Amino acid sequence: MTEAAPGRPTSGDGERVAWGWVAHLRDGGTTPWEAWRAQLDVASNGERSGRYLPGAQQLELLRRLNLAGTPDPALVERVVAASAPGRGTSDLELVGAAPPVRWGPRPVDPATLPPAELIRVASLLLAEDVVADAAPAPEPPRFRRVWARPHRLVGDAWLADPLRLELIRRGRPPGGRSAMVYVLGADVATMTVHAFTARAFDEGGQSWEEWLGDPSRRPLPPRADLAAAADWWRERVGRSRIRIALDADQTARAARARRLPRPPAVSADGVDLARRVAAPLGLLVLPAERARLLRSTLLPRLAAHPGPALALPDSHREWARERADRMRRHLRAQDYRVLGDLDQLLPSAADGGSAATVNAPDDQRVLDLAVRLLIERDGSDQHARGTGERADG
Amino acid sequence: MAERVYLHVGTPKTGTSYFQDVLFRNRRTLAGHGVLYPADRFDAHFLAALDLMKLPWGGLEAEAIGAWDALAERVRRHRGTAIISHEILAAASRSQVGRALESLGHRTDTGAGAGGVEVHVVLSVRDLVRQIPAEWQENVKHRSPITYARFLEEIGDPARDTRISSWFWNVQEIPAILDRWAHDLPPEHVHLVTVPPPGGAPDVLWTRFSQTFGLDGYDLDLETERANPSLGAPETALIRRVNLAANKQLAPTDYRPLVRELLAHQTLSQRRDSPRLGVPPHLHAWVGEIERSWAAEIRARGYDVVGDVNELIGQPSTEWSDPDRPIERQVASAAVDAVRALALEAARLRAEEARLRDELHEAHRALERSYLRPTYRWREKFVRRLQTSSIGRGVLKAYRGARGRNSLSA
Repeated sequence: MTEAAPGRPTSGDGERVAWGWVAHLRDGGTTPWEAWRAQLDVASNGERSGRYLPGAQQLELLRRLNLAGTPDPALVERVVAASAPGRGTSDLELVGAAPPVRWGPRPVDPATLPPAELIRVASLLLAEDVVADAAPAPEPPRFRRVWARPHRLVGDAWLADPLRLELIRRGRPPGGRSAMVYVLGADVATMTVHAFTARAFDEGGQSWEEWLGDPSRRPLPPRADLAAAADWWRERVGRSRIRIALDADQTARAARARRLPRPPAVSADGVDLARRVAAPLGLLVLPAERARLLRSTLLPRLAAHPGPALALPDSHREWARERADRMRRHLRAQDYRVLGDLDQLLPSAADGGSAATVNAPDDQRVLDLAVRLLIERDGSDQHARGTGERADG
Repeated sequence: MAERVYLHVGTPKTGTSYFQDVLFRNRRTLAGHGVLYPADRFDAHFLAALDLMKLPWGGLEAEAIGAWDALAERVRRHRGTAIISHEILAAASRSQVGRALESLGHRTDTGAGAGGVEVHVVLSVRDLVRQIPAEWQENVKHRSPITYARFLEEIGDPARDTRISSWFWNVQEIPAILDRWAHDLPPEHVHLVTVPPPGGAPDVLWTRFSQTFGLDGYDLDLETERANPSLGAPETALIRRVNLAANKQLAPTDYRPLVRELLAHQTLSQRRDSPRLGVPPHLHAWVGEIERSWAAEIRARGYDVVGDVNELIGQPSTEWSDPDRPIERQVASAAVDAVRALALEAARLRAEEARLRDELHEAHRALERSYLRPTYRWREKFVRRLQTSSIGRGVLKAYRGARGRNSLSA
């Protein structure tokens, strides 16, 4: 190791204590940094075990993982070596670990870090897990029902995608001569939540609050604008081949599906975690593969952790009602055939206040979910390895 | 394995675009001297840096997947000297730096003679008096609508907890960058190239780069069109207003060629007579104190300084032009230049569109001629007749089903 240059901060008691804390966390310890530092005994000191002292975000995330379970040594090392992706504060110093200097971000007590800082690190690890556990791409159906009525599914993507996949699985891919166009939808409040959810599982992007913005200036999300979708297709196929599909049973019958697959139920925090994982995942795979992995690999894992669903906040309910009314009038004026009732576009007054819903994700809960997913995947890995070893033996 | 790697890790706005373009265009000449500049496209090292740092960049990151590992492999395979250069590497975290050095073959427990590559970290640096407005301008040229006052407020906040302030200090705070990149390198392997003050001879900076990277005596073509030129206060104010007005409609893939390249770099940067951006007078003391503390730290650390460390202490201009309250006549004049440039570009695109339309028309005519063959017309007539009766439609359906695709005409 090269000796430190003159004038540089040198390793001192604080750094030795910090290395001791790193060793403690690597061994599964859960003592917070400040409590560890307060012990002030020889046992709390440690030997330098790396090129650099890991950042406060990484170490605090490791402590949270230790609190939640027993992470595999490989996961421990991944956490220690991880870095928060994207722009933002780089690895933060532990307060008291290094002599004070006049540059760099302020050292922190890791226990006081906002959850968002820990989620940044966890999201990269989860993105790597998603790539490693990638579900295989679905095989094309072995047959095609040539006698089936051709169809296209547009409108609310969160509703249309599961039905499209189901029909493809049954040998009925979309498109074809004289296809009937089903514009799938629900009430505007639900479709707005669906639009954000579909976006989170496609490309990530802004937070729910940023994306919603000011209701006075918020346009209807394109994926929730049934009138625009219907008009676009009317220009191409004519009015007679368009159905505004608002009722699940009628839509299932019309599309010759046995049942209308329900969109996957993901909690508000799950949606937000998917959004955050999408960003680093976009640095590991191409955009189309990212969307596929988020839906095929991450979504089932998130769906296994139920929680309150996302709902439109009260501040936007009048906006939704006004937009729904405008859409209803337009669709009625254009005389589209409707499966269901156009009044189903109007959001019900009770949706936003349900105990099963929240108006926004919560950073702390999102972090808890991320930690559970990391531990859970790690556990299943260990189990798989153990099973493999036994089988080998 | 490479014997020596020069890692040029920043800082932005210190002549890096010019330096990288010279290296890229002269890479064959350099290779003849055993110096590898591993790049197949001009921005290869930028993409590698995005990959290393897991940094989204308006969709460009999709082109960056795996770029760092590919770059590192080329460096490891090379026998001789290799150069890697990109200014955003300044923001790499300690763990990313660790990964970068390891991937290049650097070993912390050995010297170069014991099997590890000899790593030299190079940082080109400029005084904060010029860097602060330059960074704001870079933000504006990357679609930001932030005012200069707000930018200054954010970077002055010790919490550094906003996207802009954390990035600014990550790429500009010289001692912290060197703590991350070079804390276990011998000081003689850490080189600081200072950018000379304004008004000096134009080739001084290149001479310093050349000396630092060991390029003296090579016959390199130093002419380049690629640079990252600066804008004046009214021009930057104009781009900020364009951002405010067009950001929501203009996709990043269109913004880059139209606003950043055409308007900012090719058009508005040519206006040299407008007031320059600077640091407002009430911040001169604060900026000066930081600059002096950094210069003292660099002297104490004993790094190899190419140039003069005192050049890090800037000389603020006594004339201050506030870009948040620009002289509207000057903004209007810049806007006329911008409209003219966009009109010319629109005319060029219209001509291109007309050419493509002609080409398409020709292709359609060729297609129609092939449709006029008698067999095609007979088949078309036959299908049309079948479609007029239910039996005919049934026959067609059965035929298409047997063919395995029912969406195409026979």
